[in-house]
Amino acid sequence: MSNTNTLQNKIQKEITELTRSINTIIDNFKQLKNPLQESKEKVPVATNQLDKISEQTEAATNHMLDLIEKMSIREDEVISGLRELRKLFPENNEKMTRLLDIIIDKVNLNANDAFTLMNALQFQDITSQQMNHAAALLEEIEVKLIKIQEVFGTATESDLAGAVSHQKKGRVYDPHADLYEKKTEQKDVDSLFNKVKTDS
Amino acid sequence: MSQTILVVDDSPTVVKFVSLSLKNQGFKILTASDGMEAIEKISNLSEADKVDLVITDLNMPNLDGYSLIEILRQNIKHKDIPIIILSSEDGDDDQERGLQVGANSYLVKPFKSSLLLQEVTKYLE
Repeated sequence: MSNTNTLQNKIQKEITELTRSINTIIDNFKQLKNPLQESKEKVPVATNQLDKISEQTEAATNHMLDLIEKMSIREDEVISGLRELRKLFPENNEKMTRLLDIIIDKVNLNANDAFTLMNALQFQDITSQQMNHAAALLEEIEVKLIKIQEVFGTATESDLAGAVSHQKKGRVYDPHADLYEKKTEQKDVDSLFNKVKTDS
Repeated sequence: MSQTILVVDDSPTVVKFVSLSLKNQGFKILTASDGMEAIEKISNLSEADKVDLVITDLNMPNLDGYSLIEILRQNIKHKDIPIIILSSEDGDDDQERGLQVGANSYLVKPFKSSLLLQEVTKYLE
C-alpha cells in the first residue's frame, strides 16, 4: 500500500512539474507574440528603405553620367577648337605651338579622368544588386514570420497571401555582384571562351 | 554608315554607362531593358537597319539574357549577330552556360570601358 502511495505521489509530482513547464512554455510563447508582430511590421519598412536608396543612388549616378557626357562633348569641342587655332599660327611660332599642345594634353587628361569617373560609377549597379538581394532576403523572412504567427493563431492564410503578393515582383539581381572581390579574372573568362572556340 | 549596337540591361545606369562608352566611338546605340524588349526592337527594325552586335546582361525580368541569346541563335536572320554577355555572375557555371547558349564573349562587371571597347572592336572592325 505504501509503495502504491509513493508511486502515486511521484506521478502527481511529475504531472505538477509538467503542467508548470507547459504553463511556462505557453507564457513564453505569449511573450513572443508582440516581438514577432513588431518584427514582421518592420520588414516592409526596411525593404522600402533599401529600394529607396537604390532609386536615389540610381538617379544621382545617372545625373553624374549625363554631366560626364556633356563634359566629354565639350572637351572634344575644345580640343578641335585648339587644333584649329594652332593652324592659324605659323609653324615657326614654337612657343605658341608648344603652349597649345600643353593645353590639348591637359584637356585630354580631363577627358581620361572623366572616363575613369564613369568606370567608377558602376558601383551603383553593383550596390543596387546587393541591396536587392538583401531586400529579397528580408521579404522571405517576413513570409516566414507570418507562417510562425499562423501557428500561434495570430495570423491568417490571407495575411500570408498578402505578404507573398507584396513581395516585389520582378526583383531580379545578380546575387554575386561584387565591386572588389572577383573570384574570376577577366583573362580566365577569355581563355575559357577561346578554348571552346578553338576546340569546336 | 555607323554600326549599330543593341545594349540590353535592366539597370539604367549600366545602359547609360555602356552607351556613353560606345557612343564616343561613333557607334549607334539602341537600348532595351530586358530580353523581351530586345527581341521587339530587333524584330521591328526595317531591312535597311540592322543590329551589328548585342551586349546583354544575364539576370533580367521577363526574358533573361540566356533565353535572349537562345532565341537569337535560333533565328535565321539574327543567328550570326555577335553577342557579348555583361554580368556580375562570375562563376564557371554561368560562363559555361553563356558559351553553351551561343555568346561570343563574356565580360565580368564591373569592367573598364576600354576593355568593353576592345571586345566590341573584335567583332566590329
